[in-house]
Amino acid sequence: MTYVVVEGCINCKHTDCVSVCPVDCFYEGENMLVIDPDECIDCGVCEPECPEDAILPDTEPGLEKWLEINADMAKVWPVIVDQIDPLPDAKKWSGISEKSDHLSRSPAKQAFCQ
Amino acid sequence: MNTPLTTTKADIKVEGERVLTVKHWTERLFSFRIERPQSFRFRSGEFVMIGLQGCNGKPLLRAYSIASPSWDEALEFYSIKVPDGPLTSRLQLIQPEDRIIMRPKPTGTLVLDALLPGNRLYMFATGTGIAPFASLMRDPETYEKFEQVILVHTCRYKAELAYGKALVTNLRSDPLIGEIAADKLVHYTTVTQEDHPRKGRITERIQSGVLFADLNVPLMNPLTDRAMICGSMGLNSDLKQQLNAFGLTEGANNRPAEFVLEKAFVG
Repeated sequence: MTYVVVEGCINCKHTDCVSVCPVDCFYEGENMLVIDPDECIDCGVCEPECPEDAILPDTEPGLEKWLEINADMAKVWPVIVDQIDPLPDAKKWSGISEKSDHLSRSPAKQAFCQ
Repeated sequence: MNTPLTTTKADIKVEGERVLTVKHWTERLFSFRIERPQSFRFRSGEFVMIGLQGCNGKPLLRAYSIASPSWDEALEFYSIKVPDGPLTSRLQLIQPEDRIIMRPKPTGTLVLDALLPGNRLYMFATGTGIAPFASLMRDPETYEKFEQVILVHTCRYKAELAYGKALVTNLRSDPLIGEIAADKLVHYTTVTQEDHPRKGRITERIQSGVLFADLNVPLMNPLTDRAMICGSMGLNSDLKQQLNAFGLTEGANNRPAEFVLEKAFVG
């Protein structure tokens, strides 16, 4: 079992979840976060922290598509371990339920070059 | 990983924190204390990942609530022993001077910050789910924030209540908060699998109102009552529904409300 980030995260990316994850299993795309299902220990602490209610246990029905996106993107996006500011238009996109067309599969832009 | 490297007498580098004491409570339950890294900070009620070096060279870690309060100079943990559990089958064999690996990122929702102010705090635990409350009930802040603190602990057998009973007894003679805890802390136990004056699941006692009658308190209400839950998935979900029915809503670190819950982790 794992927790799954679903479309409520798209274009919001508040990252409250990141600060509480004990195993740093969040990965950051351009406009969404995902959870690596292989790393998630199923502690559930992130679920109530998400202001968009966009984190769900995979025991909920109908999450197959999002579970696949989480598993796939976690392999290619960079890990995120500290909370950052939400996306600039987070308020505008908050609470909008149909956002999956807006999902970017690009990784997050790195804040600085390494 | 950010675990400190330490040098043993044999000059072999060993990762982890030193085990100070180990106490076996039953055949299935034990507690242990480890050295607290100087830079390690946490809030009472939080958990961390701890464990041992795995056979494949990688650390084998599980989530454990810190059972000691945030002011304590050592870190205490309370664990079940699972005979074929990858970690606890080995963890139960630890001795003083052994090393425990700890990932220094404490987290969790069973913290006072995640609750709105109130008068009465219920802490509902089953089994080893008492661990975060072992921390909170020894933290003076808990008694500063609440007029009454009710620790409700349900176990399968009477012997499994021993850890909680010892904590409460010792707390009442604690020089720091003994007096205030004696006034404010109520310990309520139930047992599900053998004869006991209070036999049965806690959810049944809430449903029937027996819990509140026994405690001589009114039914729960969202103006005065706050709750923390740490138990099995089944208990958490049943109790959550009952608290919702009383009008209490679930909180989180960034959204304090009337109750919080966390899974009781098993090895």
